[in-house]
Amino acid sequence: MSAATDADQALADLFALRGAVPMETPILQPAEPYLDTAGEALRRRIFLTTGEGGENLCLRPDFTIPVCLDHIVSGADLPRRYSYRGLVFRRPRDIDGPNEIEQAGIEDLGETNLAMADARALADALASLETAGLPLERLSVVLGDQGLFEAFLRALGLPDGWQRRLIRTFGEDRLLDEALTALSGGRGAAIDTVPAPLVELARAREEGALTRAIRDLMEEGGLPPHSGRAPLEVAQRLIEKVAIAEARLPDSSLSLLKRFLSIDCALSDAPEIVRALAAEAGLELGRALTFFEARNLALRAADVPLDALRYRAAFGRPLDYYTGLVFEALLKDGGEPLVGGGRYDRLLRLLGAAQPIPAVGFTLWLGRMREATSARTESSDAGEAA
Amino acid sequence: MTITLAIPSKGRLKDKSVEALAAVGIEITSAENSRSYRTTVSGFDGLDVLLLSASEIARQLREGAIDFGVTGEDLVRETIAEPEAVVDFVARLGFGHADVVVAVPESWVDVETMEDLGDVAGAFRPRHGRRLRIATKYWRLTQSFFTRRHGIQSYRIVESLGATEGAPAAGSADVIVDITSTGSTLTANQLKILSDGLILKSEACLVLSKSRDRAAEDEARAKRLAALFSAEHS
Repeated sequence: MSAATDADQALADLFALRGAVPMETPILQPAEPYLDTAGEALRRRIFLTTGEGGENLCLRPDFTIPVCLDHIVSGADLPRRYSYRGLVFRRPRDIDGPNEIEQAGIEDLGETNLAMADARALADALASLETAGLPLERLSVVLGDQGLFEAFLRALGLPDGWQRRLIRTFGEDRLLDEALTALSGGRGAAIDTVPAPLVELARAREEGALTRAIRDLMEEGGLPPHSGRAPLEVAQRLIEKVAIAEARLPDSSLSLLKRFLSIDCALSDAPEIVRALAAEAGLELGRALTFFEARNLALRAADVPLDALRYRAAFGRPLDYYTGLVFEALLKDGGEPLVGGGRYDRLLRLLGAAQPIPAVGFTLWLGRMREATSARTESSDAGEAA
Repeated sequence: MTITLAIPSKGRLKDKSVEALAAVGIEITSAENSRSYRTTVSGFDGLDVLLLSASEIARQLREGAIDFGVTGEDLVRETIAEPEAVVDFVARLGFGHADVVVAVPESWVDVETMEDLGDVAGAFRPRHGRRLRIATKYWRLTQSFFTRRHGIQSYRIVESLGATEGAPAAGSADVIVDITSTGSTLTANQLKILSDGLILKSEACLVLSKSRDRAAEDEARAKRLAALFSAEHS
């Protein structure tokens, strides 16, 4: 039996041992769910085609969405863990990259003990790498938590509009920096072109009068009354915006936020470091920090050595259905991630589930893993020969 | 052997292209049959000039089916994924000016910048049960401006092949990305351009296809033609 098949079997055995049911998904998938959840940015990275009836189809660009869609259709009992393995198809970022990528992973749907489910996803991801000959000693594993970032923003008492803006850019360092600079420079909102009478109404928080004025503008513009943004929605946002335009992010809040975002430490030390920063600033992080600690305990219970993992406060993914934990592992000497995972509690509702379903999962990049192990084998062979 | 240049087949763009060629000493006579796509050329040996639609010219440049084309920069950047790898912009010709812009309804008084639009887009789905819709025929330019430049992920593009400025009033989209030269069509439709919503300042360009195979003799011809235009429009 070849080494490749041994490794495949070992991974399949591990997934079964961890209680995951294998799921098969068709290679040809409807494109709408992808474009609707991940956004138009995906359009240029996927292979699109059109069905007989004009519907958009694509070659499966990932497994998470088909697994979730199948689950919604089947209505199976929860909680439930699904495993998958197969090819995904994406246009490579650089011309020589592969179009076909072999992936495997587990999606964990409906487990309400979130800390335990988070820990299990991370522990299983690391166990999968170890099974493939990539033990933790060779890896650099980083973890982020959008929930903790959001709690920090709330505790700072920032206006909602600013919180939304910062949360939107979380995980994109350049955009987050730009947003911080704009907010601290008093450029949090532009109201230069708003007619003066409307600014006055917004400043006076005259929501009713403002809404009527905007409704008149919409009628004048011939906008259909019941599609798209409603007058009240525009009025409320203008009131919020005028308030923001006339405020600026205090230097003290800015420096606290920057200190928080620069935290990069052993996962074992993270709760203490975050707590110390919050205590110094008199901030109450509440459940988000308690949850972070509960997850650390659950990780410890799953035999994950916390001091070998890093927590980076600014680490996140700029997709609006990711809600909490994100993690990835790569070789210590760098390269592309071998595994990536995270919590996506908003996705199943977006895909049409009747109830919110908590969900967490991870994806292994099997090709990259094989490269990482074979490079290792070659170099140790060379060592023996010498 | 010969090299091939395609120019727009009708209207102002055609007339201006013919003038631009005349300015470097190349005279074009349309074939007697006015519906022919061929012309007679004098003033440059070994040059064929074809009449094609502006968007077809962009596609043929991409495929390397022609050596040169006169067409809008907007169409080249929309049609070709990595324009710098496939074509050279030899000269900007000073006509066919059009800005590709992001425009929203004037009644959205709270939306003035891309940052505002990003905020509205981010909150759209929970409020309205669907993504913010953008009507455009420029999906590549739109996607790269919204996502790469401004980090905005949550929107859907509604492909629009005409009268894009009417999409918000028709209820088929919330905002638009379109070309404008004077802004009057937008104003007439009660739309306003975002203060930082300029995606591209486009004009007609002479464009060289780098993906075309040329014999040495034709390569020299192509260089000579490019040099004529660079000198005229520098």
